[in-house]
Amino acid sequence: MDARNFTFMFYGFAAAWLIVAIYVISLARRGARLKRELENVKQLVQAGHTAREEDIEHRVR
Amino acid sequence: MREKLTIALAAAGGLLLVYDLYQIFLVLPDEAMQGPIYRILFFHVPAAIVGMVGYFVALVLSVLYLSSKDLKWDSLAASVVEVSLVFSLVNIVSGSIWARVIWGIWWTWDARLTSALVGILIFLAYLMLRRAIDEPTQRGRLSAALCIFGCVDEVIVWKSIEWFRTQHPGPVLSIRTGGGHMDPAMERIFYLNFLAILLIATALVLIRTRQEATTREIDSLRRLAHAM
Amino acid sequence: MKAFKQAFSVARKDLALELRTKESVNAAGAFSIAILILFSFAFDPFSEAIHELAAGLLWLTFAFAGALVFNRGFARELPNECLDTLLASPLAPSSLLIGKAIGVFFLLLLVEVVSLFVFGVFYNIRWWLHPGELALTCALASWGIAITGSVFGALTVNLRLRELMLPVIIYPLLVPLLVGAIEMTNALLGNQPFTSYEWLWAKVLIVFDIVFTSLAIALAETILVN
Repeated sequence: MDARNFTFMFYGFAAAWLIVAIYVISLARRGARLKRELENVKQLVQAGHTAREEDIEHRVR
Repeated sequence: MREKLTIALAAAGGLLLVYDLYQIFLVLPDEAMQGPIYRILFFHVPAAIVGMVGYFVALVLSVLYLSSKDLKWDSLAASVVEVSLVFSLVNIVSGSIWARVIWGIWWTWDARLTSALVGILIFLAYLMLRRAIDEPTQRGRLSAALCIFGCVDEVIVWKSIEWFRTQHPGPVLSIRTGGGHMDPAMERIFYLNFLAILLIATALVLIRTRQEATTREIDSLRRLAHAM
Repeated sequence: MKAFKQAFSVARKDLALELRTKESVNAAGAFSIAILILFSFAFDPFSEAIHELAAGLLWLTFAFAGALVFNRGFARELPNECLDTLLASPLAPSSLLIGKAIGVFFLLLLVEVVSLFVFGVFYNIRWWLHPGELALTCALASWGIAITGSVFGALTVNLRLRELMLPVIIYPLLVPLLVGAIEMTNALLGNQPFTSYEWLWAKVLIVFDIVFTSLAIALAETILVN
């Protein structure tokens, strides 16, 4: 009985911190994904800008 | 600035946690009735309080959003609810493991456990509702309303151990009982550990809010790209 | 006073519409009878244990059948932009919400009366022994279901995933109400008058109704007006 009491105490702590750890990992992954997405969109906007400038230059000529 | 604050909070929480764990496992004695398993209380109860306080903070933030229509409050509320849910889950899982030893069962349908589980379901529905709406102001408006309704259940969770005869233990902290239920040395570590978990939760909320801001930036850049 | 008048005119409109088409009452009635039949195969309807399960069965049936009623409440106003017209009219949003809830409330009571008769026949349970207390239980719980259903019916009415989101939100919120109704009905079906325990649950139901109705009135504009 006492041994089980002791092991379950560790199960309790392990489970509690496992849940927090899983959340932190998911948070980190989401952060990395958002960073990538931000870079992509920034590039897209940049490309759009250059394309438009070229277009204007073309028309001026 | 914000990043430094996040790191400082997480570091402070982590250090305090190490000290608390040392005290909990190596300094404090086993409890007379329950044996070593009572130590789960040092995480079970702070996780519950952090979760519940989080929902009430989200309630305030929701009201702030509704009165100001500033999306900053909305994303803060969503972040707080998400982190609170993690700690509510910690609360229920650790409590269940404690109950298996002390009560001999994983779960019982008393007012405290039931209302706590219902609270988790309500705020999961809150996150699902947010996912189902794309338009930011509509999302803020409707999820704020749901948050306000959901907090009614959190009041029941909080008060259930006083209103009903529950299998769940009654209040033990001296701020609620006037003292005499918990050894002062244990209660001191309890509060220190509560502080540690609160610091970690706050750091997580800050990280999550930063991500929400990034999401908004991505959305606006996308609209810009579409316009071109 | 004017707000009440407005609410009642909305309720009258809804009830008149419903009595003409009978679309949600027919669906909810048929659905609850089907559920009661299915339950009779899941449990032996003539064993003693049915007395302990009966109240739970009954309120689960009402809660699920209720979804068919309050689902339609606001969704009915979507075609032809009726909802926008109602909101553009001098009607206060809170009156619209309360009016919808009143309409749903009466339809729920109707469905409950029909299912109680079916229930009495199929399960050999005498539910009419304490009519006053039963009416009180049904009224308090139905109002709670009606107001919560109307609030979240309105909240989800414009969503892509309306049919999915509504039950996910509504049933957890209704748990305290349904537990109370089940506890109270349990005593009545066992032919016992209310003791202090059941009156405590009656108080829970009253508080639930008051809190949710007040929140509904306070948040009506937030929920309905874009």
